Amino acid sequence: MIRLYDYVLSASCYKVRLMASLVGLKLEHEAVDFHPGLEHKSAAFRQMNPAGTLPVLMDGDLILTESTAMLVYLARMSGPEWLGPDTPQALAQVQQWLAFSGRLAASLGRARLHDMLLYPGDIDALRRDGHDALRELEAALTERRFAGRDWLVGDAPSIADIACFPNVALSQDGGVVLDDYPAIRLWSLSIRSLDRFVEMPGIHRLHELRPAPVEV
Amino acid sequence: MTTRWIATGLCHDLPNGVVMAGRWHDTELAVWRSASGKLAAWKDRCPHRGMRLSHGFVRGETLSCIYHGWVYGTDGGCKHIPAHPSLVPPKAIRAEAFSCVALDGVLWLAPADVSEAPPRLGGLRPVRSLSLTCGLAALMAAESALAGKDILRGSVTFGGHAVEICLLVQPKPDGITLHALCGASADLVAVSRWLEALRFKAEEKVAE
Ligand code: FES
Repeated sequence: MIRLYDYVLSASCYKVRLMASLVGLKLEHEAVDFHPGLEHKSAAFRQMNPAGTLPVLMDGDLILTESTAMLVYLARMSGPEWLGPDTPQALAQVQQWLAFSGRLAASLGRARLHDMLLYPGDIDALRRDGHDALRELEAALTERRFAGRDWLVGDAPSIADIACFPNVALSQDGGVVLDDYPAIRLWSLSIRSLDRFVEMPGIHRLHELRPAPVEV
Repeated sequence: MTTRWIATGLCHDLPNGVVMAGRWHDTELAVWRSASGKLAAWKDRCPHRGMRLSHGFVRGETLSCIYHGWVYGTDGGCKHIPAHPSLVPPKAIRAEAFSCVALDGVLWLAPADVSEAPPRLGGLRPVRSLSLTCGLAALMAAESALAGKDILRGSVTFGGHAVEICLLVQPKPDGITLHALCGASADLVAVSRWLEALRFKAEEKVAE
């Protein structure tokens, strides 16, 4: 079974849990005491991942330490349609968004770690960089909508959308409000309405899709 | 001529069953559309404990506050309080409504007692909304072809074509939001990119 070294509040770990659920793969979860234990910085953990970062995905001899690589692996294993259309353009565009998701992590993700777990950082600069990245995403999604498309690449959701979604959806934790990004709001609603979507603290399923609570 | 109506968004950004944050000058609002398409705008404060209703969710013809689940109908009246399921909520518990109208693809807001109708923008095509961290003066300095105050209009040339542009200005505390429309035959992608470039120029004017 594929094992995920996991921390429930991590945006990158959630990315992998979400992908696994969307392609219908069950993972074995190994909870890592990221906070306050700093277990991912321990010598034992670094034997597996010298970078001392989460998540880590292990399948037999294969050890992956980059969440975007994990998305590729899970999709290729169980839901190849999530890799996007098999054209030179689409393959390159997916790679472009996977790399872009790193910029979201370095800005919105760091701002969140700063505000939630008191990580060091210039919070104003992190938020400004976050807004710059969101403006790019908003412009791209706006053009996609002009073409009648809801997703970043092709006609269906792909690993590109899943790679970018978590840090955007959690941006408020880092003091970055999404009110000014209508195309991002609708894209986020589309992702949250996907079949087999899973939640994490701070990211909810669409309540409107849930039945109303029954009174007893 | 000045109007009390302020554009808060474009209709294509608020499909049925969705709630978003709106703003009329300094008043923050929750603007939402029910499942059947009824439009409502309320002060963004839940009558229960004042939390933001725009963080809530639409279910059918009601908006629920995310915090403790109080349910409001499209008329603003509280219909249900989950902690007291058998209680019929008193009439006095109601969200404070603003006037909200969808016209020519634009969502307009005004205080409830507004008497005039929103401005008409017939023949134009909604493009997109985007926010700037600068004010109106910097925007006007960045593009001389635009004239007006709350509604900027002009013919702008890019890509070798003259394009009719209309920008609805929504003030906010740290800048402005523009709701852009263009001539019916203009290329939406080209207009959107022109807007990005305009924003870049306008914000740079302030940095200078
Ligand atoms: S603040 Fe809205 S239900 Fe409590």
